Parts: sequence; C-alpha cells; structure tokens
Amino acid sequence: MDLVLQLLFTGIGIGSVYALVALGFVLIFRATNVVNFAQGEFSMVAAFFMVMFSVKLGLPYWLAFIVSLIGMGVLGAVFNLAVYYPLRHRTYLPVIISTIGASILLANATLAIHGPEPEVLSGWFDTPGFLVGPVYLDSQYLLIIAVTALLVVLQYWFFEHTLLGKKLQATSQDKEMAALLGIPVALMIMVTFVYSAVIGGLAGILVAPVLFVSIHMGATIALKAFAATIIGGFGDVTGAIIGGLALGIIETFGAAYVSVPYKDGFAFLVLVAFLVFRPQGIFGERVAEKA
Amino acid sequence: MPLLELKNLVVRYGEIEAVHGISIAVEPGEVVTLLGSNGAGKSTTLRAISGLVTPAAGDILFDGQSIAGLKPEEIVRRGIAHVPEGRRVFPGLSVKENIMLGASNRSGLSRRQIATEAEAMFDLFPDIRRFSGALGWTLSGGQQQMVAVARGLMAKPRLLLLDEPSLGLAPVIVQAVFAIIAEIRRRDTTVLLVEQNARMGLSVADRGYVLETGRLALSGTPDELWGNEEIRAAYLGGRTASAA
Repeated sequence: MDLVLQLLFTGIGIGSVYALVALGFVLIFRATNVVNFAQGEFSMVAAFFMVMFSVKLGLPYWLAFIVSLIGMGVLGAVFNLAVYYPLRHRTYLPVIISTIGASILLANATLAIHGPEPEVLSGWFDTPGFLVGPVYLDSQYLLIIAVTALLVVLQYWFFEHTLLGKKLQATSQDKEMAALLGIPVALMIMVTFVYSAVIGGLAGILVAPVLFVSIHMGATIALKAFAATIIGGFGDVTGAIIGGLALGIIETFGAAYVSVPYKDGFAFLVLVAFLVFRPQGIFGERVAEKA
Repeated sequence: MPLLELKNLVVRYGEIEAVHGISIAVEPGEVVTLLGSNGAGKSTTLRAISGLVTPAAGDILFDGQSIAGLKPEEIVRRGIAHVPEGRRVFPGLSVKENIMLGASNRSGLSRRQIATEAEAMFDLFPDIRRFSGALGWTLSGGQQQMVAVARGLMAKPRLLLLDEPSLGLAPVIVQAVFAIIAEIRRRDTTVLLVEQNARMGLSVADRGYVLETGRLALSGTPDELWGNEEIRAAYLGGRTASAA
C-alpha cells in the first residue's frame, strides 16, 4: 500500500508534465486545426534557457525562471509568424510539415549553440523532499503538481469567465465567423501560440531537474504528451489533463510492477489500445457531438 | 447618398467567376432583398460586402467610402454586420456568450455592459431566453437562427446582411424569423436580405433585386416584381417557396 501511494505521487508528478505539454497541443490544435509537432521542443528550449540563465550566467533561480518564460513567449510569437502565419490559408499538410521542420531546426540550433553534452539543472528548492507518513514527497514533483493544478484552475477561469477567453474559444470553433464579428483572429492565434510556448516551456523547466537537460528531451516528452491527447480525446482540454495524468500513473506503475526497461513502452501500448478500441478518446464523444 | 452601393462588382473563386458585374444600391432605412435561385451569386455578393472574399473588379461603397478588399474585422467595425448562411452559431459557447460576442466590433465596452445588452436582446427574442445558458449545438435550427440574428444586432450595425434566414426551417419558424426582420425594420436598421424564398423576402422588403447566374436580371418594388407574370414563373414561383 505504501508503494502504491508512492507510485501514485510520482505518477501524478510526471503525468502533470505530460498534461502541460498536452494542453499546448490541444490549444494550438483548436486554434489552427493542426498538430504542432514542435510542441516538445518548446520544453527542451526552455530547459536550455534555464541552464543558460541560471547555470552559465548565474542569475538567481527565480529570475532565470521568469526570463526563460519571457523568452518562450517571444519564441512562441516568432514561431507563429514564421511557421504558421505564412501558411494559414493552406490545408493542414503544409502547416504540419512546417512544424516538423521547425522542430528539427530548434533541436539542431540548440545542438549547434550548446553542444551535445547533457546538462544538470538543480531544482527550485534546496530541500530535496520529505517524508509524510510512508510516502517520500520529492519537492520538485510537489512543485510540478502545484504549478499544474494552479495553471489548470487559472486557465479554466480565463476561458470560462473572461471575454478574451470566449473570443479565443470562438476563434477556435469558427475562424470565419469570429472575423465577421470583429474578433481579431490573427491576434487570437498569436495569443494561443505565445501561451502554448510558455506552458510547454514551463513543463520543460519543471521537469528538467528530474531528467537531464538534453536536446532529445523534447521528442520524448512530446510523444508522451501526444499519447495523452489521444487518450483524453483530441481537442479536449479536460481530456488532455486526464490523459496526461493517466499516462504518468500507468507508466510509473508499469515500471514498478512489470519492467523498468519497457517503461516507455507502456505509454504506447495504452496509446495503441485506445487507437484500436476507442479512437475518439475518453472525452471524444462530446467533441463529436459538437461537430 | 445610398448607404451601400455596389458598382459593377465582380467576384471570382479561382478560375470561376461567380458574380459578373452587378450594381446595387441600398438607401438608409430600407429593407432590400436579393432574390434568385441556388448558385445565382447571392451569398457571394454578401461575402464580398463583408470582406470574406475580395472583389476581382468593381467597387463597394459604404457611406460613400470604398470598403472593397478590407478585412472582415475592419468592415464590421465600420457598421456592417453579416449573419451568414447556416447560422454559424459557435457550438461550444452558450447562447448568451454567442450573443455577447456580437459586440466584438465595438470598443470601450465593459463585460458587464455587454452582458446587460445581451440580456436586453432577449426582449426581442423571447423564445431563446430560456436557453441562455445552453450550448449552441444543442439548439434547433430556428433557435440558432434567432441567436445568429441577435448576435448580428449586438454589433449595432447600420447595415445588417441576412443570408437565407429561412433556409431549412419549418414554415411556422420562418414566420417567426420574418416577424423579427419586420421588427428590425421598424427600428430603422437598414437590411440587405438574401432569400431563395421570394414570397417571404418580398413580404418584408421595400425593393428587390433578382439575380440570375451572377447577373442582375431585374429589380423593382415587391408589387412590380410580383406583378410580372414571366418573372414570377421563372424566379419567384411556388417551387422555390415550397422548397424553402
């Protein structure tokens, strides 16, 4: 039972990271009808920003954190203008290829600037963690869970209770109609890209102390997050969060009870099972009814 | 001076020319209907006015100023609201949110002011008041049409473009929709109404234009159009009325 609680904690922690990246997928997908294959690289680039500002330049951790997130906002804006905007009137295929290209570019630009060796980033807190009863609570995982929970609440409030949130939703549901009402569609999509880059970056910075910071971390996180969106039901915000958490938990339990080397395999086993037996995902039916 | 004037408007979709140079004028306070069968270019004309398609040639004057080629966001800010074919109610937003977003073209309004105005809109559309919190996709076609028109009116337009408001609705609902158009007319909003249902269109209009495959076939008052036997048989006959 103690082990179960411990695994649950770790699973929710890592699942929160997948959920954050999955949120980025879903928000951009809803705004542009295209999967952003560079979403994982946002996490990787942000982790390297953090290494640069905190480790190399020696800024205080909190300042490096803020500067990195601002950097991600700028990257999201540039990404929108360079990767999506010129192709916005095309079909989904050129845009997808464009995001794949951007993903390769971001990974290799980081490689060229930084070099191939992985970096270690310390966590936010000096205390590595503490015991609550039988369960060891790692401080970084606690931070990840807290930030994710806070962000989910904030995002819910933003989309449900602000006019800007409603305009973003309207844009994602029917761009032409949104434009007819005077909603600045291009600006709404810009906001979406900036926000998605920032939460993707946030996920990367938060998970970096748990993993190594390397140019490959983006691809791994993105694949898991992508699986999470499929499990949750593509295009559904709640689904992305549930899917991310579920995936983190499945993966952690699979590693503990079945096989550590095949840890990554469990995520994809679940993904394949969903694609075969419930391709619309857990929350898929609601989306289908909307369409 | 007409509120809206189309001068030799030409619209192309790629290679295909959908509107071959039509000229139309709408005076302030008028309700003008654009009639014609499927594919006559009626919707395309409205899409050009609201900026969804860019005219290939000719000009569109609103209040004497050219608006041809402007973005839809800019055109609605100048006072032309377009209620498009198929209602286009946002499926995942509530009725009230849909209506509130109609005010997106007006700046300097607080969320509270917009919410109050949206509430007031239910006085004009009492049938949808009880669906205020329901999501758009749960409504029937007639209810969605009410939401779409209410959303259009939230823009406080000087010119309202209505595209096929009766399409796919039961006759009793069509009557209700046209009662609302008559009410809008009493409030001095200028309306350009596209209809396949000529009988309904002419019943609320001051004047009508008949389009035939992208060209203007004729124009006149409802009585004149209704009185022309040949025209009545060709464009305004019972077939189109019953089809809608």
